[in-house]
Amino acid sequence: MISTLFLTLIGADNGQHASVAGPALVEGAGSSSRTLLLLLAIFAPLVTGLITLFYPRKGITLRVLTALAGPVIAFLLLLNHFNVNGVQPLDAGSGPVAEISWMPLLHLNLAFLTDGLGLFFALLVSGVGALIVLYARGYFGKNEDDLYRFYPTLGFFTTAMIGVVLSDYMLLTLLFWELTSISSFLLIGWDRYDKHAVKLAMQAFVTTGMGGMGLFGGILLFGMTTNVWTWSEFINFGTWWQAEYASLAFNNPVFWAFLLMFFGAATKSAQFPWQYWLPGAMAAPTPVSAFLHSATMVKAGVFLTGRLLPVFGGAMVAADGLRAGLEIWPWLVTIIGGFTMVLGALISINQHDLKRIFAYTTVSQLGLLMCMYGLGSFAYEHNGHLLQNIDFDITQIANHAFYKAPLFILAGALGHVLSRNITELNGAIKKHPAMCITIILAGYGLAAGPGTISFQAKELFLYAIYHLKYTAVGNWWMLLMAAAIVTATCNVAIFIRLTTTLIGLPGGFKADPNAIEADHHHHEHEHGFWASMIWVPGAILVSFQYIGGFVPSLWMRVFGDLEVYNNNYFAEGIPTFWGAIIHGIHEFSVPLMCSGIAIVCGIVLGFSPIFRGTIKDVCDKIYPGIYWLAVTGGGKAFRLIQTGNMRHYTVMVLIAFLSVFYFVSLGDSKMFDLAVSQLGSFNEFWPGVFLGVIICTTALSLPLVSHRIIRILLLGSCGFTVVAMYLVYQAPDLALTQLTFEIISVVLFVLVIRLLPRDVPKYRPNPIWRIALGTMAGLAFGWMTLVAVGADPANKLGMWFTMNSYEGFVRDVYNAGRGGGGKNIVNVILVDFRGFDTLGEITVLSLAALGVWSLLPSRRSRKTS
Amino acid sequence: MTVVLAVCVAVTFGVSIYMMLGRELMGLAIGVFLIGHAANLSILAMSGSPVIQHDKAYQTAEFKIPPVLESDQQAKDWSEAQLIKAEHPEQDVVNPLDEMVDPLPQALILTAIVIGFAVMGFLLTLIVLTQRRAKTLDVNELAKMDLPTPSQAH
Amino acid sequence: MTSLILKTAMRLIVPLTLLFAVYMALKGHNEPGGGFIGGLIASVSIALYRMTYGAESFDKLLPIHPRILVFVGLTMAFLVAVFPLLFDRPLLTSYEQYLNLGFGQTVHFVSAAIFDIGVLLVVIGVSVGMIDRLSREVEK
Repeated sequence: MISTLFLTLIGADNGQHASVAGPALVEGAGSSSRTLLLLLAIFAPLVTGLITLFYPRKGITLRVLTALAGPVIAFLLLLNHFNVNGVQPLDAGSGPVAEISWMPLLHLNLAFLTDGLGLFFALLVSGVGALIVLYARGYFGKNEDDLYRFYPTLGFFTTAMIGVVLSDYMLLTLLFWELTSISSFLLIGWDRYDKHAVKLAMQAFVTTGMGGMGLFGGILLFGMTTNVWTWSEFINFGTWWQAEYASLAFNNPVFWAFLLMFFGAATKSAQFPWQYWLPGAMAAPTPVSAFLHSATMVKAGVFLTGRLLPVFGGAMVAADGLRAGLEIWPWLVTIIGGFTMVLGALISINQHDLKRIFAYTTVSQLGLLMCMYGLGSFAYEHNGHLLQNIDFDITQIANHAFYKAPLFILAGALGHVLSRNITELNGAIKKHPAMCITIILAGYGLAAGPGTISFQAKELFLYAIYHLKYTAVGNWWMLLMAAAIVTATCNVAIFIRLTTTLIGLPGGFKADPNAIEADHHHHEHEHGFWASMIWVPGAILVSFQYIGGFVPSLWMRVFGDLEVYNNNYFAEGIPTFWGAIIHGIHEFSVPLMCSGIAIVCGIVLGFSPIFRGTIKDVCDKIYPGIYWLAVTGGGKAFRLIQTGNMRHYTVMVLIAFLSVFYFVSLGDSKMFDLAVSQLGSFNEFWPGVFLGVIICTTALSLPLVSHRIIRILLLGSCGFTVVAMYLVYQAPDLALTQLTFEIISVVLFVLVIRLLPRDVPKYRPNPIWRIALGTMAGLAFGWMTLVAVGADPANKLGMWFTMNSYEGFVRDVYNAGRGGGGKNIVNVILVDFRGFDTLGEITVLSLAALGVWSLLPSRRSRKTS
Repeated sequence: MTVVLAVCVAVTFGVSIYMMLGRELMGLAIGVFLIGHAANLSILAMSGSPVIQHDKAYQTAEFKIPPVLESDQQAKDWSEAQLIKAEHPEQDVVNPLDEMVDPLPQALILTAIVIGFAVMGFLLTLIVLTQRRAKTLDVNELAKMDLPTPSQAH
Repeated sequence: MTSLILKTAMRLIVPLTLLFAVYMALKGHNEPGGGFIGGLIASVSIALYRMTYGAESFDKLLPIHPRILVFVGLTMAFLVAVFPLLFDRPLLTSYEQYLNLGFGQTVHFVSAAIFDIGVLLVVIGVSVGMIDRLSREVEK
C-alpha cells in the first residue's frame, strides 16, 4: 500500500524506467518494492520532522512522539529488510536491488546497497536517532522554541545520514554526504546569536565541505576513468582492475581518485590534521554532539574508508583470493589513523570540560578505526592461507557508539543539573546517583575494562597490530603497539579520574574555588518521566556494552551477520571476556599482556597528579589561520588592485589582454601569413581608401584638439565618414541608422557639454605610456580583424539567412522550418531569426532611459509627485 | 578593402584607448564613442570585401548587391543550387555570398549601434551627475574622494 | 535657435519626417528600413522641433511622458514574442498573411511587423526622452 503510494508520488513506473545497471539486476515487483521501502526508511525521519512544524507550539508531547516515529519507522523497516532479505552478498553477480531512474545520464539513480556495512550503519543511525529524539526532550525541557526548530533539523540529518550509508550510486552518497555537512552546520550553529558558535559552525562546515569536494572529485575521476559509478560495481571492480590499472604510479588516475576520496573521509572523520573541527563542533547542543559528533556523522569517513577497503586496500571479500590494492593504502591510512589516535588521547586527558574530553577521545577513537582499516590492507599467512589482517570491524565500530554516545548524553545531563566542568563535579554521586552511575558505566566502556564489548574490541585491534609482525612491516609493529598502549592508558586514566571525582574519592579533581562559572544550559527543572529522558537513553545504549561483554553470543546474534570480515583471529566468533583472558593466559598472548600494561599504567596515571591541566590543540589554529590569511590577505590584495582610479583598471585590463595576445600571436607564423595575404588587395576601390584616410585623420586629430566643440565636430565627422564606409560596404540599413544615430549623439554631446562647466582645466600631459598602450592595443585589434577576415570559412551562417529570409523552402538540406517572409535580410534577422536578441536589446534601451530619467529627475515628474 | 578597414580599426581603437586613459571624463566618453566605431568596423570587415572585381586600368569596380533580395526567385535559385551541391559535392554552384554581401554582420552591427546609443546616453548623464556631486571631472581626483552615496546626500 | 526661417521650415519638415519614419518602419521588412531606423528618424525630427519651439510646444506635440511610449513598445514586442507560445510554437514564431484590402489590392502582412512597431516606439521613447531630459537640465 505504502509502496504503491510512493510509486505514484515519484511517478516512476518500474517496468519502463528501471534501467539496467548490470547483468545481475534483479527485475521484478519484489525487488522494486524493496527499493521503495528503503527509500521510505531513508525519508521517514525527514517527513515526520517536517510534520512537527505544523503542530501548535504548545503540543510538546505530540511533537516528540511524531518526531520519534520517523527514526522508529526507519529502524523497523530496516530491521524488516534485514530479516527478510538478509545481508546483500558482495561477490560478483549481485547487483543493486532495483533502481529508480533519476538522472541516468549523470550516473545518479536511486538504488541502495544493503551490505553488512551499510545496513549496520543505517540501523545504528536510526536506532540512536530514536533515542536522541527522547534525549532532546529531556535536554531542552519544555522549551518550545528549541524543540520547534530541533526536530525538523534532526530529521533532516537522520535522513541524510541513512542516505549516505545506504546509497549504491557514488554520487547519491556524495549528495547525502553534503547534506549531512549542511545539517551539521545548522546544528553546531544552533545558538544563532552566539558569534563564536557560528564561527565554529563555519569552521566545521568549511572543513568537511572541502572534504566533500575532494570526494566529489575522486568519484568523478574514478568514474570517468573506469566507468564505475556504483559501490556494488566498485567492490567487484577489484577482480579485474589489476590488469588495467596495475601501475600504481603517479600518472595513474585511480591513485589520485583514491587520494581525493580519502581526503574526504579524513576530513569528515576528523583525522590529523583536520581534527580541529570536531572539538569545535561541541558548541552544538549536547543531543547533537551525542548523535552527530560521536556516534554517526563523524563515522561517515570511517564508513567510506570501509567501503573503499575491498578495492583500494585490496581486502578479500569473497573467496576469490586476496587482491592487491594500492601500495599507498596501508601506510597512509595506518599512519594517519595511528597518529590521530595517540594525539587525540594525549589531548583528551589534559582537558576539564567533559564535552571536550569526550570530543578528543572521539578523535582518538576515530583514528583507531581508521587505523583498523589501514591494518586491514596487510595480509599475513596462517596455516598456509593468506588472511586479511582485520576481524569483526563492525563490532569495533559499534562498540564505540555504545559507550561514546552515553558519555555525551550524560555529560549533557550533568552539565544540565550541575556543571560540565569536571573540577566542579566532586561528589556529584550523592546528588544525582542515577546519572553518575550511568556515566561511570559508560566510562568503564571507554577504559575498555573487562566485562564490556569494548574490551574484546580493543583485543581485536591489538591482535591486528600484533599480526603486523608477520607482514612486510616487521618489527615496526611495536611502534604502533606502543601508540595503542598510550591511547589505552589515557582512556583508563580518564575513567579513573571521572570515577574518583564523581564518587569523591582521593585522586579525583577537587573543586577549584577560583574557577569561573561556565555558561551552561539552564532552565526550570522538571520531574517525572520526561525529565528522566535526560539520562535514560544513555543507560539503554550503555547496556549493550555489557550484553556484548558478558554474553557475546547474543551480541553475535545481532551483529554477526553484519560483519564483513570475520573468523580470522577468533574462529568461533567473539569470545567472552573471560574466555579471552583464559585463552590469553593459557598460550602466552602479547595483545592481552599489552592490555594489562595499559590498564595498570592507566590506573597509575589516573591517580597521579601529572597531566591535570588544560592544553590547547595546535591544530585549532589552522582554520583561523587560513581564515585570517584569506580575509586579511584578500583585503590587502583588494586594496592593491581596487584603487578606485578608473585609469588603473583600464591599464590592468589592457596589459593583461595585450600580453596574452602578443604572447600567442607573435609566435604563430600562420596568423602572420594570413594577415599578410590580405595586404595585397588594398586598392580595390580608391574612394574606399580615401574614406579610410578621412576616418584615420579625424580620429588621430581628436587627441590633439582640446576645444570641446571642435572635438565633438571631429567626432561627428568621423562618424559620418563611417556612414559612407557602410555605404561602400553595401549596407543601406546600417548607413541610415548610423546617420541618424550620429545626429542624435552630437545633439546629446552638445547638451551635455552645456551642462558642464566651461573651463576644463589643463592637465599636465603624460602621453608617452598612453601613446604606447594605445598603439599596442590598436595594432592588436587591427591584426585580429585581418586574421578573422582571412579565416573566411566555406560555410557562413549568412548563407542560411539569405536563403531562408523570404520563404525558406529548402527544408531538407538546411533543416529550415520556415522563412521570415521578408526581402530585407538584415531586418528579417533582427525581428525574426534573432528576434530574441532584439527583444533583449530594446529592454536594455528602456533600462538605460529609465536610468537617465531617474538620475536626472525633471520638473515634470516633480509636479506629479 | 579589408586592409583599409583594418587600418581604420587599428587607428580608431588606438586613439580611443589613448583617450580612455586620459584624466578627464569627457575624454573617456569620446573614447567610448570611438571604440564603438572601431568594433563596428571590425565586425563589418568580417563580411569580406564588397568588391567582386576591379579594373585597375580604368579604376572601376563591380560590387556585390546589398542584402536585400531583388525577388523571391533569387533566393529560390540559390537554394536549389545548394540542393544540387548537397547531392553532387563536386559540382561548382553559385554561393549566395559571392553575389550578395553577408547580412549577418550588418544585423549584429545594427544591434550594436543602438545599444551603443543607450550606453552613450547613460554615460553622459553619469558624467553630468559626477560633475555636480564632485565638482570635478578629473579621474585622479575622483579616486581620492570619498563621495557620499545618494541616500546620504539627501 | 529661434530663427523664423527654421520655425517656418519645421512646420513642414516635422510632419513629413514623421510620415517618412512610419514609412521606413513599415516597409522595413522588404526594403531598407525598419523599426530602429524609423524610430531614430522620428526622434531626430522631434528633437529638432523641440530645439526650435522650446519645451512647451514639445509638451503639446507629445503630451505624454516618453516612458509611456517605451512601456507600450516593450509590451507590444513582448506580446508578439510570447503569443506563439499559446499555440505550442517556439518563442517569436512569426506568421504571415496576405490581407485583401479590396479593389484588387492585397498587402503582405507579417506578424513581425508588430514587433517592429514596438521597437519603433521604444526607440522614439528612449531617444526623445533622453534628449528632452537633458535639454530641460540645460534650460533650468
